[in-house]
Amino acid sequence: MLALQLTITGLQTGALYALTAVGFSLIFGSTRIFHFAHGATFIIAAYLFYFMDISGYGLFLGIVAATAGAIAFGLLLNRFVYVPIQRDEGSFFTVFVASFGIGIVVENVVGMIFGRGFVTIQTPLSFSTEVMDGLFIAPLSWISILCAAAFFGILWCFLKFSHMGMSLRALADNPELVRVFGLNPRFISACAFTIGSILVVPAAIISGATSGLNPAMGHHVMLISLAATIVGGIGSVTGTLLAGLVLGLAESLALLYVDSQWTEAVTFAILFLFIMLRPSGLLGRSAAH
Amino acid sequence: MKKIRNLLATLSVAACAFAFGSGSAAAQDHTIGALFPLSGPNAVYGDVFMSGSDLAVEHINADKMLSGPLSIAYEDSQGKPQPAVVGMTKLVNVTHVPYVLSAFTGVSKAISTLAMRNEVVAVNGGGVGPDLASLGKYFWNVIPLVNLEVRAAMPYLVKEKGIKRVVLIYIDDPFGNSILDELKSTLDKAGGELVDTLSVPVTAQQFSGIAAKVRAAKPDAVYIASYGAQQIQIVKQLRDNGVSQQFITYSGYLVPDALALPESEGLIATGQGVNYKSDDPVTKRFVTDYEAKYKRAPTAYNVNYYNAVLIYGILAHALEAEGKEVTGANLLAKREEMKSFNLVGGTVSFQSNGTLLFPIQVKVVKNGKTEVLTTVSF
Repeated sequence: MLALQLTITGLQTGALYALTAVGFSLIFGSTRIFHFAHGATFIIAAYLFYFMDISGYGLFLGIVAATAGAIAFGLLLNRFVYVPIQRDEGSFFTVFVASFGIGIVVENVVGMIFGRGFVTIQTPLSFSTEVMDGLFIAPLSWISILCAAAFFGILWCFLKFSHMGMSLRALADNPELVRVFGLNPRFISACAFTIGSILVVPAAIISGATSGLNPAMGHHVMLISLAATIVGGIGSVTGTLLAGLVLGLAESLALLYVDSQWTEAVTFAILFLFIMLRPSGLLGRSAAH
Repeated sequence: MKKIRNLLATLSVAACAFAFGSGSAAAQDHTIGALFPLSGPNAVYGDVFMSGSDLAVEHINADKMLSGPLSIAYEDSQGKPQPAVVGMTKLVNVTHVPYVLSAFTGVSKAISTLAMRNEVVAVNGGGVGPDLASLGKYFWNVIPLVNLEVRAAMPYLVKEKGIKRVVLIYIDDPFGNSILDELKSTLDKAGGELVDTLSVPVTAQQFSGIAAKVRAAKPDAVYIASYGAQQIQIVKQLRDNGVSQQFITYSGYLVPDALALPESEGLIATGQGVNYKSDDPVTKRFVTDYEAKYKRAPTAYNVNYYNAVLIYGILAHALEAEGKEVTGANLLAKREEMKSFNLVGGTVSFQSNGTLLFPIQVKVVKNGKTEVLTTVSF
């Protein structure tokens, strides 16, 4: 029963990791921008929902505000930070440092507004009930898994069948060719930021209810996103989704075999193994031909 | 005419020299340092600690206790040893402070060698690892350490509440490991049993798997030994994931964010006993002014850092009265010479290991506040 419990717990954690990581992977894969402030997008979405919740505006308006805030942050960052840096042929490192700095600024601004302590989104959906002898599941576990499935289904269809989805994949493959075909890479990049920022919203809201929030948690979010992106294969949305689930499951199921202090190390052991044995990741393509 | 001009110039220079000379002799600015977590997941403690230390500075300056104004140079330790050592190096070598406020077990242990080497007094009012009692003569504690908290809580809970089987969840750092050692020996002696121990990494944020392990161990109670946002996450996630047993923890949980959490209801925590209703003037003034300034009741952490700064004021005042320089070495010598101090909570004395002794209260959280179950004196 413990194994089943840890599997379900792991799936829930993995679904949240996947939602966060796929957003980052989509942005990085399409635009090659190391969007370290993706963790800040998570914080902004979560705290906006929290603010709407404690102000009594309800679930729907809370989701709308969190989504609008996440999109606005992603688009503004792209337009006023990344685009000017890239226009001046700024290096990958410059973009990374700028993004890292924005993440710290957001952490401090959120801390100034909401306080630097721990807050939580209170909902009865986070309380587990015993569905079988010794097996406790909270409604939010199912919601996390269903949310992840729905978002990835929509994303997969969008990338596969829509014109913009194909443009995003083309931008990831060859930006110059995209220009040759008369498409606007800047507009496609903005779409990548919009979709990537939307994907982080359900993970931010559900995490706020299950594990609580503090302004400094963006770094942890980013660490997991990065690990999942590398394990899944840079640029592969499906690979990142699978990697997020694998990392969540591994972190949870590791409790069956190792002491609890090593569960986070398992995540990075998997990352290390992939870097050593399969650097292109689960579904990524090797850069060397 | 020229003679008069020369005379006026001479008089002006003499007047300036007198003014500056007498000024520097009479008013010496005092700066002490503080290494508090001001960012990151432990930042909530920084606000709590600063509210106590800042109030003490206000009182010392208002009383003109020292020859010049006192101020605190704050450095952000993030509650981590490495940034704390950087901050301590700056305080010692650049700001040249003789006295530093410290917090957190890992931070305090990391800076203690710098304090000893540079003869700077470091005073801890927030870390509770038992090792902090043996960090040398320049390291003082104005907080009772956690070994006393465990020794106060567990015999009472075993005897009065029938708690025999305990699971410990502890942070994987020097503080958490010290609680593990203490809990093992105390439970053995009290007739209880530590049925499982689950350590968690400092950065961990997901505890639903840990909750499954706790349920599987079927304990009577769960002792939680972490700090900052993590300890609150543990309590919330354990309750959310079906752990209904009694929670027990230490003084680190007694911060407003944690007490406000609905899942904290019924939790038992230990902490130093302070009689806030005491009639002694120091305590009365502290409680009145703290409530007026911050619009909330003070906690033990506020008291500790108020006391830590007040001790500096008392010692520096005594040194200045004797015409001695306010250095770390002189502060230490004066503390050893003065047997007792009138601080918030009453008249207290340092033990030979540089730690103040307070009674320990076992408290229960009810409606976001604590109620005292029992008080244990050592």
